Amino acid sequence: MAYPILSARGLCVESLGGKESFPVLTDLNFSLEPGKILGLVGESGAGKSMIGRTISQFLPHGFAVTKGTLQFGGEDLVGMPAERRRALLGRDIAFIPQEPLSGLDPVLSVGQQMKEHLHRIGLAPGESWRDRALKEFEAVHLPHGAALLEKFPHQLSGGMCQRILIAMAFASRPRLLIADEPTTALDVTIQARIVKLIGEMQKRDGTAVIFITHDLRLASQISDEIMVLYAGRPAEYGPAKQLFSAPAHPYTRCLQLANPTISGPRRGLFILPERMPGLRVLKELKGCRFASRCPNAIEACTQAEPPLLPIGPDHIAACIRVEKTPEIVPPPFAPGRAATSAKAHLTAEKLTKTYTTAWSPFGKRSSFKAVNNVNLTLDEGEFVGIVGESGSGKSSLARLVVGLDNPTAGRITLDGRDVTANGQAERAFRRDYIQMVFQDPQSALNPRRRIGSIVTQANEATGLHNSQRERADRAAELLKEIGLPADAALRFPSQLSGGQKQRVNIARALCTLPKILVADEIVSGLDVSVQAQLLDLLLKLRDEHGFSMLFISHDLSVVRYLCDRVMVMYRGEVVESGRTQTVFADPQHPYTKSLLTAVPPDDINLQWSPVAAEAGYQVE
Amino acid sequence: MRPIPLWLKSGRVQTGLVIIAILAICALFAPWLAPNDPNEQDLLAILAPPAWADGGDALYPLGTDSLGRCVLSRLIFSARVALTVAFSASVGAMIIGAFFAHVAGYFGGWVDWLISRIVEIWLSFPPVILSLILMVGLGTGLRNVVLAIILVDWTRFCRVLRSEVIVLRRRDYVSAAQLVGFSHWRTITREILPGTMPLLITLMSLEMGVAIIVEAILSFVGMSVGSETPAWGQMIADARQNIYEAPFNMIAPILAIFFAVFGFNILGDGLRRTLDTRLTQTERT
Repeated sequence: MAYPILSARGLCVESLGGKESFPVLTDLNFSLEPGKILGLVGESGAGKSMIGRTISQFLPHGFAVTKGTLQFGGEDLVGMPAERRRALLGRDIAFIPQEPLSGLDPVLSVGQQMKEHLHRIGLAPGESWRDRALKEFEAVHLPHGAALLEKFPHQLSGGMCQRILIAMAFASRPRLLIADEPTTALDVTIQARIVKLIGEMQKRDGTAVIFITHDLRLASQISDEIMVLYAGRPAEYGPAKQLFSAPAHPYTRCLQLANPTISGPRRGLFILPERMPGLRVLKELKGCRFASRCPNAIEACTQAEPPLLPIGPDHIAACIRVEKTPEIVPPPFAPGRAATSAKAHLTAEKLTKTYTTAWSPFGKRSSFKAVNNVNLTLDEGEFVGIVGESGSGKSSLARLVVGLDNPTAGRITLDGRDVTANGQAERAFRRDYIQMVFQDPQSALNPRRRIGSIVTQANEATGLHNSQRERADRAAELLKEIGLPADAALRFPSQLSGGQKQRVNIARALCTLPKILVADEIVSGLDVSVQAQLLDLLLKLRDEHGFSMLFISHDLSVVRYLCDRVMVMYRGEVVESGRTQTVFADPQHPYTKSLLTAVPPDDINLQWSPVAAEAGYQVE
Repeated sequence: MRPIPLWLKSGRVQTGLVIIAILAICALFAPWLAPNDPNEQDLLAILAPPAWADGGDALYPLGTDSLGRCVLSRLIFSARVALTVAFSASVGAMIIGAFFAHVAGYFGGWVDWLISRIVEIWLSFPPVILSLILMVGLGTGLRNVVLAIILVDWTRFCRVLRSEVIVLRRRDYVSAAQLVGFSHWRTITREILPGTMPLLITLMSLEMGVAIIVEAILSFVGMSVGSETPAWGQMIADARQNIYEAPFNMIAPILAIFFAVFGFNILGDGLRRTLDTRLTQTERT
């Protein structure tokens, strides 16, 4: 057995703010050998990133290691002098951040940053930084390295920036790399390439990697070992293949089942109720942290914290009823009512939108075709998915359909009525017929309005049922439907979690009981458990109100789960469309194929080999 | 009981509010606070030094000017002009500036282009010269001073607020409001204005400081209120001839201006630090 490069023994991190202290990470034990990848998986708030920050000793104010040791190559990382740590960080321990754009300094060119970094980590005698930079760029398959050095971060795509950061991270041949959700902010196809690239570089240098992600499927594809964290404590820790194919802890199993599949028959999603307990609750908690959400919990689970018990070779789980875990099965796939009549609710013919630069009496305006000749129909009660990468025109299409933008050419009809003109009358008609759920709950809810006022905003516009009483009643109804407590009506958006905000976002669109919803990436950026809750909610609401939906997403497995039909968009055009099952099982267009192979397969034993799109469909 | 709002806990805001409160008390209760009539001339005691200096008279705590008028009384009465101008000019400039900023930022396109260009042309005139020209055209008097300052300084509000409006305009909740059928007017007042309000209040308190300085400049060159109304700028102008014999006549109004502008600026700075959402977000991260 090789000597571990990084090992934690009984590591505890606490937040010491104020008079009380709260445990953030509890009793962490792991060891990472050179050349191995450790995947850290869990919902947001599980403490994944905190581990990365503990290693770099960049803990937030008021947080401190209170117990245990953390050793890097035989040196104690916690107690070491700051000077020694500075020497290690960025050289022996490298980082790849979540947001590639924030990882680079926007006012310095790539070359300047590369030069600074290379000088810091030291160059071979007689080697110029420029030659070295080009060599490192080549290693991460970045073309036109010399031109790239002159560029500034904002001139590059997210994928390019992430590659540059990977090149910088591996330039010093680090012994340990910490990648904190390095692909979350990127498109699927780029995600696949970035992950492959990290794997390739890691093999070249024999680097140990800590790969932090919320995606269990992705982690199991690339990691040697996985640690599943729940509320700051490991729930399960073991070899990736074993852990993914036969999860021992109910939490791992639930996470796996909360994620929709990308192949095979569709199955229901396991809905993890509620949320992870907060720090305050955890401190008082006696029993298993997961007990309140666990389908297998019994009386004994709430009595004492379960120890991490061995399950198999190198495989441990903190559960006293491990043998019951395989009994957790997903509910049967029940999509509710699908398209019942063939009557088209929404049709769009040859829809085109050209954006031009801001108005000015001087100078030429440049234009860009965001949506090009798109035909679309949406039947009653039908969910249609639109997939594609960022910049493919999905969101522009959504804005045209709901009337936030006017098409340059083409025709839109709602319920047989032509609404292309988008005048006063058309707007009024649209208001009761089609509504939109926005992508970013942060930006979609006015931070200065109370939830009750947000969800009944439509009444304010029409003046109908606009008395305080009627609005409060309607708000209570809507909150009940979307599964929020009634007292949420008086809160402000900042007091809700991301998932709750997205529910409010849905409730606002439902206020006038529209026939069509347009949902733009409404589950991206949410935890899988929250995502499953929301998808389930949408299906339930369809059962009750019978609306149809245009569901825009970059996540193919979600679209596969939810939608009856799918349209694949590339550079403003629809390149493939058809029934979801057919398209996903047998994609015809090379772009659809490349999108599908970019998703890690459900079966861990399958080789994940994302294929590059063919010429002409270059994704980056 | 409701908790004390965050902005009131800031030391800067508290300091600013105390200073402004002192000035406001001086202005409101001037006839009772001032030891003498500010315009009464005591020709037997011209250029009297302050009470604590040799030859000072307890009747005139800060001495007298070249016409034998009580400096302290004039200082106190001048606060009236200063505060009237500060409040009404900044409110007026705020209303005009905010209106055009919201129209430009919300509608965009040629409306935005036109308003922005007008603001740019307006800003290319030196503000003091512009207000002097306006005063020549309008004639002296308190109302015209306020009007001149409003006409010069609305552009300040317009420019800064417009960019904030553009940021808020792109928020999805503004689109959502349009989708549920809000009129433009309602969208602006109910969705955008609450978001720009913190910046608006901050700018207004800074503008009050600016208005005091502009008024002082105008009254220094005799283009503000008439000579029968005391004003700080006028006092500085009057003290110029006797600057060597009675330096305190000059120092006192300068300190008063400094004190008032400092109060408004520190209030504005404190408000900006606590109310500006962008700043608090970066502080949080």
